[in-house]
Amino acid sequence: MTDTAIEADALAKRFGRLGRATWALRDCSFRLPAGRVCAVVGPNGAGKSTLLALAAGLTAPTGGTVTVLGTTPGAARARVGFVAQDKPLYPQLSIAETLRMGADLNPGHWDAAAAQRVVAGGDLDPKKRIRSLSGGQRTRVALALALGKRPELLLMDEPMADLDPLARHELMGVLMAQAAEHGTTIVMSSHVVAELEDSCDHLLLIGEGRVRLAGEIDELLEGHARVSAPAQSDLSPHTVIESRTTGRQVSALVRPVGTLRADWQGGTPSLEELVLSYLRNPEAPALTPAKSEEFSA
Amino acid sequence: MTATLPAPTVLRLHRTALTGWLVAFTAVAALLLWAYGPGADAAVAEWNRLCARQRPCTWGGGSIMNYYRAFTLAEFLILWIPGLVAAWAGAALIGRELENGTARLAWTQGVTPTRWLAAKLTVPAVLLTAGTTVLVLLHRLAYDTNTLPMGWTWDRDNTFGTNGTTAIAWPLLALAVGAFAGLLLRRALPALAVGFLVAGTVRILVHETTPHLWPHETAAGDAKNGYRTPVNVMNLGEGTYHPASHFWPLQLVETGFALAITAAAVTTAFWLLRRRTA
Repeated sequence: MTDTAIEADALAKRFGRLGRATWALRDCSFRLPAGRVCAVVGPNGAGKSTLLALAAGLTAPTGGTVTVLGTTPGAARARVGFVAQDKPLYPQLSIAETLRMGADLNPGHWDAAAAQRVVAGGDLDPKKRIRSLSGGQRTRVALALALGKRPELLLMDEPMADLDPLARHELMGVLMAQAAEHGTTIVMSSHVVAELEDSCDHLLLIGEGRVRLAGEIDELLEGHARVSAPAQSDLSPHTVIESRTTGRQVSALVRPVGTLRADWQGGTPSLEELVLSYLRNPEAPALTPAKSEEFSA
Repeated sequence: MTATLPAPTVLRLHRTALTGWLVAFTAVAALLLWAYGPGADAAVAEWNRLCARQRPCTWGGGSIMNYYRAFTLAEFLILWIPGLVAAWAGAALIGRELENGTARLAWTQGVTPTRWLAAKLTVPAVLLTAGTTVLVLLHRLAYDTNTLPMGWTWDRDNTFGTNGTTAIAWPLLALAVGAFAGLLLRRALPALAVGFLVAGTVRILVHETTPHLWPHETAAGDAKNGYRTPVNVMNLGEGTYHPASHFWPLQLVETGFALAITAAAVTTAFWLLRRRTA
């Protein structure tokens, strides 16, 4: 057992041939402690899916390394669960056969009861073929397969996108119970920041293939402040992430260096405000643990 | 601890391919058994009735033609159906899994990509080899017991191709090339087409080339006056030929080529998969 779930060091992934190659991920470094529920957010095409696929050992990196549960992604395969964005399942199998396959492929650590519970929550007939299921029902079966495996690390790419609000709430509850009960590290990507705020305690913000923000959500929020100051105020030495002038006021999101002036009416931003500020301002300097160590050194 | 893909799971996933193979196998086996038993009996009876006392004799549309059609059809099917099923297993099943992402499902259910590919190749390879071996043995049985003095000679392309080990080796090549195409193209149908066409073309090329690579005999005579080649030989032109005793050397050389190309395709497929995944 290691206390690091995922550690990426200068991780890079390039797609396409020389000349037309694009970098899906570039110089990506972060460390995710074990036992966290981590949100991976970022715009479309930011590299979220690539990062999860690399951690799951589905593709090989072009450069750098990623360590999963203290070993290589390939060696950690049996201890890692993965739910891909399109929820691939064998359409010709029934739900019961799909779960039996899960049991066959995970000898010695298959939790049939847990998988059954997830399926039963959706009121699904086990004899139904996968090809006849709706998108949300397929998501449920995919989650059942991933949870039945009893993984130490569960990677999910947009897991809740197809679910109605009720199912989303219920399955989020199942996931959080799993995390609490077994200490499972959960990493999930999403567009919808609001849905992550209640359940996640760690954040990884990815933009243009690079890590923009990484760390405990509490610390990230505390490390930023909303300020509202008279226009033409000099905001230095604080790092300005975003600022907007309306009339005689400038409102900004800053990373304070030292103490902020008391009359600037500071306040802690919400997670959504923080994420949106970074997304709207791609040039804003990144904040990752590796970087903050550099600053303090 | 890493899991392998158990054979029952592979078969459950590929019921259609398995059913297709069982139906094709049963049909060809039934055809050969019919030709060996009632078909041959009826044909010999007709031959004795029409041709025993008078030469030349004529026949048409009767038992002799039925017998002839049965074994030529069986030979055609043995030659191409196992290869088609093999290319299907290799290309469509691997290409489709990559196409719709279920390969990733298997790989994240604890089966390493290498073991996944190994299982996907081994299970069809075993079934195809077993089935084709039985068909070749049935074909030999019908061929060896044939007493009809017409039509069935060892050097006919289709007869040669279904009477020995080459028939068993070629489906393996189709499987390997199909799997390789599936990995490369990541699409089911294009991989099936490419796998079958490439394997079929290589098969024809190797079959045409092999007789020229093995030492052959030369008959007396010259181009002007004709060559005095013996009977029951495989003619290569200009008086050169293989006697019937070269059947097994030719079979084994062709089989060797097929297995060597198969091994190369399988090795490349594994290398490609390992390079792509962690």
